[in-house]
Amino acid sequence: MAELKTVGTSIPRKDAIEKVTGLAEFIEDRYMGPMLYAKMKKSTVAHAKIKNIDASRALEHPGVKAVLTGKDYPNMIGLYLIDRTFLAVDKVRFWGEPVAVVAAVTEEAAAEAVELIEVEYEELPAVFDPREGIKPDAPIIHENLADYEIVPIFYPKPGTNIANHFKLRKGDIDRGFEEADMIIERDYYVPQMQHVPIETHKAAVQWSPDGKLTVWSTAQSPNVVRQLLSKSLDIPMHKIRVISSYIGGGFGCKAGASIEGLLVPIAQKYPGHIIRIVFSREEDMQGTFTRQALYSKLKTGVRKDGRITALQYEMIWDGGAYTEYGVNIVRAAGYSSTGAYDIPNVKTDSYCVYTNNSIGGPVRGFGMCEMQWGIERQLEAIARELDMDPLEVRKLNGMKEGSTTAAGQVVHDLDYDQCLQVVADKISWGKKESGSEGKFRGKGIAGLVKCPAQPSNAASSAIIRINEDGTAHVMIGATEMGQGMLTAISQIASEALNIPVDKIDIKVPDTDFTPYEWQSVGSRITYTCGTSVKRAAEDALGQIYCVAADLLETPQEDLSFDGKKIFSTKDPEIKATIREVADSCKKCTGEGIAGPIIGRGSYVPTNMTNLDPETGQGNPGLFYCFGATGVEVEVDSETGVITVLQLASSIDAGKAVNPQLCEAQLHGGTIMGLSTALYEEVRFDKGIMLNRNFTDYKIASIDNTPHIDSFILETPETKGPYGARGIGEQPMIGVAPAIANAVCNALDIEFNTFPLTPERVWQAIKDKKNSGA
Amino acid sequence: MLSYDYIKCTDLRNVFQELEEGQQVYPLAGGTDLIVGMRGGKFAPKTLLDIKDIPEFNVLEENDQGITIGAAVTLNEATTFAPIRDNVPVLAEGCHSVGSYAIRNRATVAGNICNASPAADTAAPLYCLDAVVNIVGSDGTRSVPIREFFTGPGKNALNKGELVQSILIPRPYPEGKGVYFKASRTGSVDLATVGVAVQRWGAQVRIAIGAVAATPVRALSVEKAVNEKGQKDWTEAARLVHDDISPITDLRGSREYRYHMVEVLVRRGLEQTMGV
Repeated sequence: MAELKTVGTSIPRKDAIEKVTGLAEFIEDRYMGPMLYAKMKKSTVAHAKIKNIDASRALEHPGVKAVLTGKDYPNMIGLYLIDRTFLAVDKVRFWGEPVAVVAAVTEEAAAEAVELIEVEYEELPAVFDPREGIKPDAPIIHENLADYEIVPIFYPKPGTNIANHFKLRKGDIDRGFEEADMIIERDYYVPQMQHVPIETHKAAVQWSPDGKLTVWSTAQSPNVVRQLLSKSLDIPMHKIRVISSYIGGGFGCKAGASIEGLLVPIAQKYPGHIIRIVFSREEDMQGTFTRQALYSKLKTGVRKDGRITALQYEMIWDGGAYTEYGVNIVRAAGYSSTGAYDIPNVKTDSYCVYTNNSIGGPVRGFGMCEMQWGIERQLEAIARELDMDPLEVRKLNGMKEGSTTAAGQVVHDLDYDQCLQVVADKISWGKKESGSEGKFRGKGIAGLVKCPAQPSNAASSAIIRINEDGTAHVMIGATEMGQGMLTAISQIASEALNIPVDKIDIKVPDTDFTPYEWQSVGSRITYTCGTSVKRAAEDALGQIYCVAADLLETPQEDLSFDGKKIFSTKDPEIKATIREVADSCKKCTGEGIAGPIIGRGSYVPTNMTNLDPETGQGNPGLFYCFGATGVEVEVDSETGVITVLQLASSIDAGKAVNPQLCEAQLHGGTIMGLSTALYEEVRFDKGIMLNRNFTDYKIASIDNTPHIDSFILETPETKGPYGARGIGEQPMIGVAPAIANAVCNALDIEFNTFPLTPERVWQAIKDKKNSGA
Repeated sequence: MLSYDYIKCTDLRNVFQELEEGQQVYPLAGGTDLIVGMRGGKFAPKTLLDIKDIPEFNVLEENDQGITIGAAVTLNEATTFAPIRDNVPVLAEGCHSVGSYAIRNRATVAGNICNASPAADTAAPLYCLDAVVNIVGSDGTRSVPIREFFTGPGKNALNKGELVQSILIPRPYPEGKGVYFKASRTGSVDLATVGVAVQRWGAQVRIAIGAVAATPVRALSVEKAVNEKGQKDWTEAARLVHDDISPITDLRGSREYRYHMVEVLVRRGLEQTMGV
């Protein structure tokens, strides 16, 4: 590969100056015209029939323009399983489900009017634990599951609460267990958590009298919002314009479409008005996606030498009240169910179960944190049972070039061993430190892997316009939510065009002008959007050479472009500036050669397949990104307080497009993982979310964040742009199991759930003492 | 609707007229509990009465009587006030453990006790120091000991129309070390699961505990064992604290964990202040 100029350098963020000066626009910063403000009336029960909604007093409240209920929104919406309505229709399925929406001239008037709406419920038996919900006699939450439209790669069981049953059968599980010298069985539990982006969910819509709908949204994908609104509201796509502002963090909670459609009927009543909704923190915590809780059972067959011969993995996911998106998390966890390990015989059953808890949905890791918690804890249990080095067990079973995943997909371009080794070396693996009195030290390691969970034909596209002066505009549909997409993508464009990055402009998307992008999710944008941008750049460059060849009367193959001029490699005196070529090029006679140069590129994966419905075998992964986490902890055995002394994190980026941003992602993901390992857990009481503010939903602050040693490996991804693969979600995955493994190493206690709060650790120490172990 | 009048008072004499004649008048000093409570619907003031610039409330001084902390003095001001750091560092520790630095730039010591949370981080140190709360009303002033000021969760000894003017840390100051230990879920920017202040006074000790009862409490059983019965085994002494507290289970911790942590922190406090 030729030497790279821009890719691989830590140029400053494209959006840095806008953001540090406060000029960057977020939805609430925009004055858009005459406004109406929307507020939602939420259910006070978890599962009930709606007997009556009396909005008469709300309608009389000063400033109120409209009150709408589920009857005004019969249409259904959803990404994979269309099981949702914008407002509850006839029944509510979780505490806090929106039952009505008020639009008023001020936000306060809307909030007051919400209090005046009276809703009469007839409560129904509810399900709060998916293990109960999966039973045949459980109350049914979605009676019409059989009628729901669904992407045909999911397998709901009408007449039950099972929204998806993903089955995977690899090899021969019975033979695998027969070959084993030891069978190890454990149960694990991962609770719900919240994303906690700095910016809550927001949306605004405007209906033009000529039938055009404009939507401003914090959604992670303007194109998906457009697609879902078009389908559910029966509006053609050219009549829907979705504009993305900068987004203050997504982490998955703003994937798909959520609140935009709620505002459309109001907008249609008041053409020209902007109808806006801004979620409070409490609403954001309770009313948007949570990470699905997971109850899992692992049964592993292992030989005396540490080789795993069989894995049986049962996952029961708390899908919450609606699983339009969650069904795919359950599928992704299922087809990835051996984690970073090559296990020949696998039987996995992954169930998405409706409950009357908050809606489950995508969170950074998309099921991998929850599923690999079990894998990485199980590896630790195996090492303990066999009295082997946990690092060696991981290396022995770890995936290597040519290994197969649970789905039977062959993996390439990896160096998982090295991911493990660098973090192990950093924390002086194998060297046990002793703590001070009453304090116990331990070291732990965990590996990780993740591929983007996306439809096999999830596409990207890009347009590059070369200006008359040889500068360029890159137009894409990916969103910027802090991850640094604008910067990385413009570096790829710069590299491919050979135009300096400061001569490239790039903006957040607007579906009326920017080309299609599926979603900014799944750590896929650098790879997929990056590939389409590279192709658009190559297309533009091809046009530049073509025009220059005509102008210079020189064969294209003899031409080269240095960013300023196109010249003949055989005679440097034969040359033209990029301006001459790009500015509607003409010959010296005045005859025109070519108009403006516009490059186009599009991308769709060609290596992904559907999976066999019975065996789950096939190619679900676009690419696989590996990494590892190593930690050293000290535990105060009296108080249960864990102090993380060392935290090392590695990720194989293939090629770090921007090493500094890559490292920032690594740090961000590691801290988020640390936060879930030690603090984060959504607490419910009969479906009521108890800790929906920061007083009682604790996340790691800077005081809780130790120094992080980060390692970015670069095993090139053959088909990725310049060898790059996505790394956005991955650094989070290994942290919780690595910490639990370290605590296990320190205390000789197995933790099968987290967060490892002081109280939970203290309780476990006490239980161990009491059991006389 | 968060719609209210805002009145700034700079003369103490005008405060009481507003407090007595107005409806739903809430004094505003730091506002870190008030504003959050208004957003959450806990308070619905018709008038916010800003008392931050009333001279009497801005006193932060040391004299023959002791240290006076005016009602508008912020936690950060108190933490960095040399006489507090030098003479009663346990109070500085308590002040410093509230919220974040930015919160402490606004929040006041007086506000922390007026809010009357049993978990208030300044309370346990103030209990150990036998602080006196100076209350002012239209009829004049009165003083109550800190242990009488807290009357229940969110409840204090103020009558309608009264305000805390200042808190006095009386002389003589304690002779010996004092510590404030706080157990919380994250260890920073968090409420106390329990808070324990242990203050040595020569050969004696005073211990106060937050978040284990309806108000902060003194660990009188422990104090009695140490001060009167000469108990030198801190483990044994700390165990007696169970008689002094009645914690509950909530999102921040179970009753059992609170009992345990108080015992651990009292023992550690005794070790650090009274010697191993």
